[in-house]
Amino acid sequence: MEEQSPFLVAHKFAFKVPTVLEIGTGSGIITTFIAVNDILGQKAVFFTTDLNPFACQCVKETVAHNQSQSVTLDPIQTNLASSLRDHQVDILVFNPPYVPAEEVPAVPCQTQASNESTEDDWLDLALLGGHQGMVVTNVLLDQLHNVLSANGIAYILFCASNVPEEVVVRPDLTARFDISLMEKRKCGWEVLSVYRFVKK
Amino acid sequence: MKLLTTNFVKCAVKACDSSADSFPLKYEDVQLVQEEQDFNPEFIANMLERLDWAALLKVAADLGNTSLPSHKPDDVDPTLTENEPLLRDLHSLLLETQITEGKMVCGNCQHVYHIKNSIPNFLLPPHLA
Repeated sequence: MEEQSPFLVAHKFAFKVPTVLEIGTGSGIITTFIAVNDILGQKAVFFTTDLNPFACQCVKETVAHNQSQSVTLDPIQTNLASSLRDHQVDILVFNPPYVPAEEVPAVPCQTQASNESTEDDWLDLALLGGHQGMVVTNVLLDQLHNVLSANGIAYILFCASNVPEEVVVRPDLTARFDISLMEKRKCGWEVLSVYRFVKK
Repeated sequence: MKLLTTNFVKCAVKACDSSADSFPLKYEDVQLVQEEQDFNPEFIANMLERLDWAALLKVAADLGNTSLPSHKPDDVDPTLTENEPLLRDLHSLLLETQITEGKMVCGNCQHVYHIKNSIPNFLLPPHLA
């Protein structure tokens, strides 16, 4: 990761203490890695979101196993970035449910009275992204400009079936973001790429 | 959920986006726990810049704390020892005070969100999502 730190350090964030939001964090390992390895080169406030209540609990455990006393991090159970105030996120990280599927699975019933879902009920939500695997990512892309602060940056992962080369030239996106490919790599049988979206 | 986080979250209902009453949420029936975190005076001083102070005062009052200055302290130099008590107080309040259980109520639509095991839950029932 040493290679990737300098441009973040050089980046002028809107606030002296940046906030980092990881959407669909799962175990919380990505945010924990960013936080404890000082990837940003400065102290930050970290938030993670996930629909899955088991994931939100797991994030706390992952951080607790890794220098939790020096890290400011809170998991939030919510859909994407909803419930976060607009224009507050300086760095956004999203490894979406990108696998093409007939549809995005429904959120398991979690009323206050019956919180009886099991971990297995939530797993498909972490993977399946509907048509071209892009349904969930597209919802986030539509909100992204409002979520990010001035000069905010998002790192979003795509698989080859998402056809990211076509996504990143969409006029509605290029009008609002400077988009660049950060990494493209074969991972097992998948070809994954990470694009950076810098708010204009 | 750290008290700091109350400065960043609002009602998740789309129709409440345009309402000033959807932030901050009102905190009720809360249980608090102090959880130790390393004190970094510069981090706290720098964080002041982005805090919505009026919202912080409201939430602190919900939690029974009315001892904060009524105006946001500005230009707090973290290297001066005279500022340490203020920064330590803010550190303890913002980063170490955990809301472990409680309710968050939207001032606009009155929807009640719950905090359980320190995790705020903003998932909406299907008719509101």
